[in-house]
Amino acid sequence: MATLKVEIVTPESALWVGEAKALVARSSDGDFTILPQHTDTVGDIVAGVVRVDTADGEVAFAVHGGYFQVGPDETEGVTLATVLAGVAERTSDIDVARAQVAKEVAEAQIALETRNEQHDTASHLLAHADLARAELRLSAASK
Amino acid sequence: MAGGQERILRRRIKSVQSTRKITKAMELIAASQISRSQARIVANRPYRHGMRRIIVEAALADPAGAAKLLATPTDVDVAIVLVVTGDRGLSGAYNSAALRAGERLVRKLRAEGTHVRLFCIGKKAGAFYRFRGMEVEESFVGFVDRPSFTDARRVASVIAAPFIDGEVQQVLLVSTRFLSAATQAVEVEQLLPLAMPAVPVDNAPTKLKGYTEFEPEVEKLLTSLAPRALESEIFSALLEGAASFHVSQQRAMAAATDNADELGQTLSRIMNRARQDSITTEIMEIVSGAEALRSGK
Repeated sequence: MATLKVEIVTPESALWVGEAKALVARSSDGDFTILPQHTDTVGDIVAGVVRVDTADGEVAFAVHGGYFQVGPDETEGVTLATVLAGVAERTSDIDVARAQVAKEVAEAQIALETRNEQHDTASHLLAHADLARAELRLSAASK
Repeated sequence: MAGGQERILRRRIKSVQSTRKITKAMELIAASQISRSQARIVANRPYRHGMRRIIVEAALADPAGAAKLLATPTDVDVAIVLVVTGDRGLSGAYNSAALRAGERLVRKLRAEGTHVRLFCIGKKAGAFYRFRGMEVEESFVGFVDRPSFTDARRVASVIAAPFIDGEVQQVLLVSTRFLSAATQAVEVEQLLPLAMPAVPVDNAPTKLKGYTEFEPEVEKLLTSLAPRALESEIFSALLEGAASFHVSQQRAMAAATDNADELGQTLSRIMNRARQDSITTEIMEIVSGAEALRSGK
């Protein structure tokens, strides 16, 4: 029987590896779903929630941008879907309070720099990235 | 006087023993860091290999775009050399080996007429090259013991900017590779244009068949992928550097502890002899004094 093996991988660790029925995510071309025997594909993943549909229910990850590759696994008949993300976490592991604080800090920073008209400084860009990450964590955790 | 010498020796033994305590503690700390840093290398491997696999896949599909990003440049006017060392010393040859390799590389490039821009990771590298009167553009410090991916990202963005702007045609990395717990070696690697290994990954599950689909189209993907691949390569270099540092420090400190033991032993032997000598002299004095008294009677 055709099966799908999913790996969610970050530079620090392999976050999740296991068998799944489907992988749902969004690339810069739009939403997509990977099922067993999907054709070989390489693509990017925009910041958002990546869902893995397993036999025991759904596992969701907040992925802050990354790439994916679908190809045949070493084992015959298994399709391997690898998600590579610089930063990612399981939505159940998200620390909502911490994300909330991070969001407020980033917003304050942005507000301050906007008042001082420092729009293109490195810290301003970093603050925007921090804000985006915090917002994604909050929205992913609340689902 | 003999008693004075004994006191000096006792003081030296005490100082050797307290040095030994320090080296022993450093040895144990380094040893505890080794397994942790090794585990991080292992944990990083799937990401690193996955990244390489994707790059190879994309490069095969878009040879024209790949030529720009992946080829070895023939004509290099300006090159960046990035040297990775530790923040701390007392780690055997770990720092000096990388520093010497870096210096050799810079000299070779300059002899070929290439202008070299030097970047350093780790306090030791910055200090060494500055002391030698070489200009260091930027020195990244404070994270080599326990590098995080964010650190790698920061370095990558600084290094990649001049390459993307076309000011620099090549970026070379000098770092210590953790080949195994027993062997670490300094290697020079080309970071940019991305150097793709001939065999991309050990046991790559993907058989390259060339009809892979890309989302978005491969040209766009390859451009956005390149900086991520650079981050990944720098991160793994940092992880391997950290592990190598701990191994070399552990080894150096174990040797220092052994030396301290040996020195302590030699010193206490000398001290015992000195004490014995002084006792012998005292007895001689007493005996000869008594003798003199008796004969004087």
